[in-house]
Amino acid sequence: MAKKTYDLLFKLLLIGDSGVGKTCILFRFSDDAFTTTFISTIGIDFKIKTVELQGKKIKLQIWDTAGQERFHTITTSYYRGAMGIMLVYDITNEKSFENIVKWLRNINEHANEDVEKMILGNKCDMDDKRVVSKSRGEGIAREHNISFLETSAKANINIEKAFTDLTLSILNKTPGREPTDVPEKINIDRKSDRLSNRCC
Amino acid sequence: MLIGSNSGPQKIFQKSLFTMSSYDLRLKDLDQVLESEVIDLSKLREFCFNGIPDVKGYRSLCWRLLLNYLPCDRNKWDEQLDHHRKLYQQWLDEILVTPGSFDNEECDHPLSEDPNSKWNTFFKDNQALTQIDKDVRRLHPELSFFQQATDYPLSNVVYSSGTKRLNRRVGMHFLNSANVVRKGLGIVKITPKAEQTSTSEFKPLEEGSEAHWEVVERILFVYCKLNPGQGYVQGMNEIIGPIYYCFATDPIIKMKEHAEADCFFVFTNLMSEIRDFFIKTLDETDTGIVNMMRKVTERLKENDPVVQSYLVKNEIYPQYYSFRWLTLLLSQEFSLPEVLRIWDSLFSDSQRFSFLIDICCAMIVLIRDQILAGDFSTIVKLLQNYPNVETRVILNKAAELSVKNRDEESSGI
Repeated sequence: MAKKTYDLLFKLLLIGDSGVGKTCILFRFSDDAFTTTFISTIGIDFKIKTVELQGKKIKLQIWDTAGQERFHTITTSYYRGAMGIMLVYDITNEKSFENIVKWLRNINEHANEDVEKMILGNKCDMDDKRVVSKSRGEGIAREHNISFLETSAKANINIEKAFTDLTLSILNKTPGREPTDVPEKINIDRKSDRLSNRCC
Repeated sequence: MLIGSNSGPQKIFQKSLFTMSSYDLRLKDLDQVLESEVIDLSKLREFCFNGIPDVKGYRSLCWRLLLNYLPCDRNKWDEQLDHHRKLYQQWLDEILVTPGSFDNEECDHPLSEDPNSKWNTFFKDNQALTQIDKDVRRLHPELSFFQQATDYPLSNVVYSSGTKRLNRRVGMHFLNSANVVRKGLGIVKITPKAEQTSTSEFKPLEEGSEAHWEVVERILFVYCKLNPGQGYVQGMNEIIGPIYYCFATDPIIKMKEHAEADCFFVFTNLMSEIRDFFIKTLDETDTGIVNMMRKVTERLKENDPVVQSYLVKNEIYPQYYSFRWLTLLLSQEFSLPEVLRIWDSLFSDSQRFSFLIDICCAMIVLIRDQILAGDFSTIVKLLQNYPNVETRVILNKAAELSVKNRDEESSGI
């Protein structure tokens, strides 16, 4: 088994309609590059990036999912172990924004109750083609008590911040632990450490 | 590459001697198979299993035969091709109609809630089209081919000032006032909104020409319209891509000019064999994707139990890798030329897709050392980005496994 080079392991998931830019967001974050020439994601893809926050080395295991309905049975099985979920829509695509509600429902059905969520309105560099205003994005986020950012994988706007914010919010509710206790596939049970702030 | 051998389909691929004479001999063999009045399909399969020569349009002809588009009786070819190409043209004429183009549609209008309303269907179709459009623009971006102009554009599409281009309909899911103009009394016309929101470099070409990806888009749309129960599912673009590429680069002009229609039928035939992989409700059935993944795992267990149990122990589920391998017949795992070569063998497999399972199994066995040395993330990464292993090596290994398993089956082990 490889030697541990990190203190904590967080599992993140990217979901949202097909073509909103999930793979591009991930590629920008993991490789700091942008390309328009991405093939469509079939099933589920995977990337690793290690970040350092509050003096802790955190290994992020990020799962990139296919957007189309057909793949939901394959992808929803990953919701369960996810500690953070990014919901992505495309600000130039009304339908992808309307579907955020549908994706939220999926999270409620399949993910851990206390999973950290974040909504991203991607492609914010394309202001001339915008059909979803920033305030509508903020509105839906506020309504569901989720943090929100507009991003652009292309122009590298808020990508780093999105991942950092999400990681921090997971970190902040993770109780301190000895690095040596961390197994390769950690599933931190946070429920016992805090009161659930949601009713059923 | 060419392999100078006449070994049976389930035998091991031999290393080519690469001598001119063996190459010529091989071509002669293939010519002999193809020239007989009634083609012996098992002989053809035997030959193609070892790879179809990359010259003289052999591949495009053999794929048409192997996927049952062309009958074995050569005398029926012309009639068959002619009939199907006309049929496809007829479907295009019926399907590529924008409502409002006829004057006798007075009782139909864009706000109609009548399920038979052409407008209703039009808006619904555009949703499917939006998905197709996203995917065909992302087809083999590493090649310039799909962005280049076809020599055989559909003239009533490319000379329509853009109005008949399918990608213009993308995003028009509902009536948008900006899209509609009234001309005189009662006649409603729909005009596309400003340029589509595409970040891609795949732009529709100018008046008079169209790119190969636009042709692929049309074929998929026709398929989607004719198979409404299934519709379009992501990944179908990756299945049609290599077939279209093969047909549209055919050096035989009289075949190449019909690449679109022929590709439609060959794709349809192939889909009839693998469509269950694309249907969620069939996942758990015998022919569904879950069962296919299970077969790969079982085959691996028989051939390399150590690796198989290591994968299980590390919680590397088949969904992480073999789901995509199987659904797309490996088309996203290898470069296009390699995919063409792999598909020669897959299409020659009379027990489709047993050999596909052998290939998947071989791919894992061949990188067993790297797998056994890895942890969860390195293994998932490895399997999702399959390392550079020569296609020939993978196919040889797969053939070896396939012979082994068949022998074991027949001896009752």
